[in-house]
Amino acid sequence: MYNSVPLQQHALMSQYPSYYVKPVFKKDVQEEMIKSGEAQKLAHVPTRAALNDQTSSVYHDDIINVLINYVMKDGRKVLARELVEKTLEKIKRLQLERYHKATNIEDKNKIELNPRVIVHKAILNGKPLLQLSPIKRGGVKYQVPVPITDKRSQFLSMKWIIEAGNEKDRNTRFYDQLAVELIDAFNNTGRVVKRKQELHKQCEANRAYAHYRWS
Amino acid sequence: MRVASALWTRGNPKEPVPFQELLPLKLRNSVSGKGDKTTEQSLCSKEIESFQKCYKDHTVRKSLKEAQEAKGILIPGEKKLSHKQLNKLLSMFPNIK
Repeated sequence: MYNSVPLQQHALMSQYPSYYVKPVFKKDVQEEMIKSGEAQKLAHVPTRAALNDQTSSVYHDDIINVLINYVMKDGRKVLARELVEKTLEKIKRLQLERYHKATNIEDKNKIELNPRVIVHKAILNGKPLLQLSPIKRGGVKYQVPVPITDKRSQFLSMKWIIEAGNEKDRNTRFYDQLAVELIDAFNNTGRVVKRKQELHKQCEANRAYAHYRWS
Repeated sequence: MRVASALWTRGNPKEPVPFQELLPLKLRNSVSGKGDKTTEQSLCSKEIESFQKCYKDHTVRKSLKEAQEAKGILIPGEKKLSHKQLNKLLSMFPNIK
């Protein structure tokens, strides 16, 4: 029975033995597993406790949770979550302001009011397709364009968004600037998208070095 | 005075320099379209998708191959073998003593 469940990778220094499986905390996934009969397999398998940011709440959002973790400094998660929540509020306010300023219905319908949708699309728009990695050949370091994993691409996008949010004058708040940057990235404009395009341009300029990846 | 003579080591250039028309002094009736490359990603979404799928498949295949090599499982038709695979192969066909 235990062998039928795939063992999952665990971090070093984990409190749990390696045969403990990760919990399924999302309601829709649970329902799916019950339907397919997979839940029965997990019934008597030792399971880890859910982490404190893993809830079955309707407001749970994987990507925004990751964003909170990237915003966090020195383990101050409460502050990081507060900042991201304030960002979402600011996005909502800015978009609502635009919505009420628009005069005709067509323009109003074009404006996205859901801040979560805006954050998701903004991160998607900032994701690079390639990256440059320094490879040494004949004593010279070449910046070689190499493919990028989905996870790293998402990390870079979020990192650039957060860095753009930090680049501001002293009188504006981080969450206000972050909201502006997210809306810009959602509309495929702004500093984050520009940075992505610059990386793409550099990759294309260095396309002659591409073969150094394997030779 | 010494500076001026140093400048004139190749001879005093004669002023005024006679004008030569190397290229015709008029504008062309067309422009090159080299500058406006599109940055719109939705136009080549199919290519991007296939590229990403290719890389994903490659990483999966590579990790599978590395795992097999680490365990010493022999793959038929494999030309580059790890030390574990080689030892297994050699133990199957030992030297006659």
